[in-house]
Amino acid sequence: MLFNATPFRIVKKEKQTEDTYLFRLEKPKKEKIKLCYEPGEFFLVSVPGIGEAPFSVCACSKDFIEFNIRGLGDVTNHLIKLKPGDYLWLRGPYGTSYPMKELKGNSLVIIGGGTGVAPLRGVLKYVEERRADYDRVHAFFGFRDPNEILFKKDMKLWNRIFDLNLTVDKAPKSYKGRVGLVTKVVEESGLNNKNKIAMVCGPPIMIKFTIQTLEKMGFHHDQIFVSFERRMKCGVGMCGHCMISGKYVCKDGPVFRYNKVKGIRE
Amino acid sequence: MGKVLEKKRLNEFLSKVSKGGDLIAPVKRDTLRFEIVKDFNDICLEGRPLFPVKKFFSPAKEDLFNLNLTNKNKPFDEEKIKLKPRVIFGGRLCDFNGLLKLDKLFLSEEYQDDYYKLARENTLLLGINCDPAPSEYCFCESMDLEKYYDLFFHDMGDKYYIEAGSEKGKTLIIDLEDYDFTIPSIKCEKKLYTKDISKYYDDSAWDKENDKCLSCGKCTAHCTTCLCFDMIDELEADVKHGKRFKEWDSCQFLNFTEVAGGAIFRKDRINRFKHRIYHKLQYFREKFDMDMCTGCGRCIESCPRLIDFTEVINNFKD
Ligand code: SF4
Ligand code: SF4
Ligand code: FES
Repeated sequence: MLFNATPFRIVKKEKQTEDTYLFRLEKPKKEKIKLCYEPGEFFLVSVPGIGEAPFSVCACSKDFIEFNIRGLGDVTNHLIKLKPGDYLWLRGPYGTSYPMKELKGNSLVIIGGGTGVAPLRGVLKYVEERRADYDRVHAFFGFRDPNEILFKKDMKLWNRIFDLNLTVDKAPKSYKGRVGLVTKVVEESGLNNKNKIAMVCGPPIMIKFTIQTLEKMGFHHDQIFVSFERRMKCGVGMCGHCMISGKYVCKDGPVFRYNKVKGIRE
Repeated sequence: MGKVLEKKRLNEFLSKVSKGGDLIAPVKRDTLRFEIVKDFNDICLEGRPLFPVKKFFSPAKEDLFNLNLTNKNKPFDEEKIKLKPRVIFGGRLCDFNGLLKLDKLFLSEEYQDDYYKLARENTLLLGINCDPAPSEYCFCESMDLEKYYDLFFHDMGDKYYIEAGSEKGKTLIIDLEDYDFTIPSIKCEKKLYTKDISKYYDDSAWDKENDKCLSCGKCTAHCTTCLCFDMIDELEADVKHGKRFKEWDSCQFLNFTEVAGGAIFRKDRINRFKHRIYHKLQYFREKFDMDMCTGCGRCIESCPRLIDFTEVINNFKD
């Protein structure tokens, strides 16, 4: 049936912030399911008796899959209490992805805010393994404050192999890193649009200002990908919850080329 | 070329075609509604039921799984769908056209809803022509409805003229007497002057009607083509057993777009109103090359404030 879920065993759980954890799930041996094709897709994760919540793929190989889960609602608050050895119930993958194969040879400009960094981590992990396929990779990540920074372990590696720009909106005086809005950092980078593809994910307001910044830097709308977060219930284009301006975020998205969704209304 | 059936033989005909299954038809109780018929004499073809037939294809509440939290390896147990073959008699053209639109959502290439699929495969559609239009709110004449049915009845006084719209339909009436007639098309008082509303998103005509709205969701509940739903888990008092079910929802409710953490994307009433109408007349067409509205007028007639989106559209300034 359409809404059947498959159990995945948690093999690793890594604390990211006060209320956020990175989970690694192992692919069930017998199941013939494909975990994911390219980054950007999402799964619906369920807690029997509480409900389901959508999570985009945060890293994925042929044997495992990772999700970044923040305790925000009933389902997620339950999920973050689970431990290695416990099971998560998944259905998916759903939705569109970043067309990574098609983008080979390009330089990537990856811009994320807050939990919106999670699907972009999927992109960077993908590129890590196929580094030679892509030109330069510029990553710009903004978080509210230093305590909210996600994927610190990865950041160390990315700082070496990519052009990583990490910033926080506000921080105590003792903080040594960069402070300021991520859009500002992007703007100051001086990058042009030549041979580049931008990928943007974060809160709606951050997406809006980032697009404006990219426009100023000369990016065309078909050079930009955005990924939206909406309420997803069915994941298959039936329930209507995720629809904006006639687009199903679950099926036509969550990853859209910006020229396709420019000017959409809530 | 169709067939004729004398009215006094209708019940006999219906009982033959619905043998072994359920007959669903408009029945007059406190209001007129589609029901499984128990007594053929209850069938009433005066007026169109305010509630469309969609509930027979996707019920207001549909159990998906039995939940058993004590069984760690198998907490979900799929609910088996059982459906008897069914015949709907007395549906209107708008009812059946509504199904054509819902097919696009529930029987898409990639994903099919099991209940809907089974219900569609198991239901014969016997329609009745609207002559005259059964409600002052009907405006289907403006909506290019398709002749979609297995059989279509037209009242000729003491008999029905019947036309088949499918192979299945043909076999049902093969034994009836041939008759030559052309069914008149439906005429409506009410009109929708334009269906292309793309330029009028910011027209002030929206505001007046919108201001009356209570966000009660009656319009979507009665719509032939609205079937948005929520998925809900509910546990019994023992907190171990329960159900996961689908339940109709409405884009007119404030929390329809609420995400974990509390953000709501369509917070303003006016955006929800416009979303409903733009979905009906523009967004759906962009995807499927047809309108999502059948002009049944049910959203107007069922609205406690009689909010009428055709008035809004007919009043756009050019
Ligand atoms: S039925 Fe009328 S009042 Fe209720 S939500 Fe629909 S338009 Fe608003
Ligand atoms: S929008 Fe109104 S008139 Fe159109 S199909 Fe729905 S209920 Fe009928
Ligand atoms: S989540 Fe149900 S339509 Fe997109």
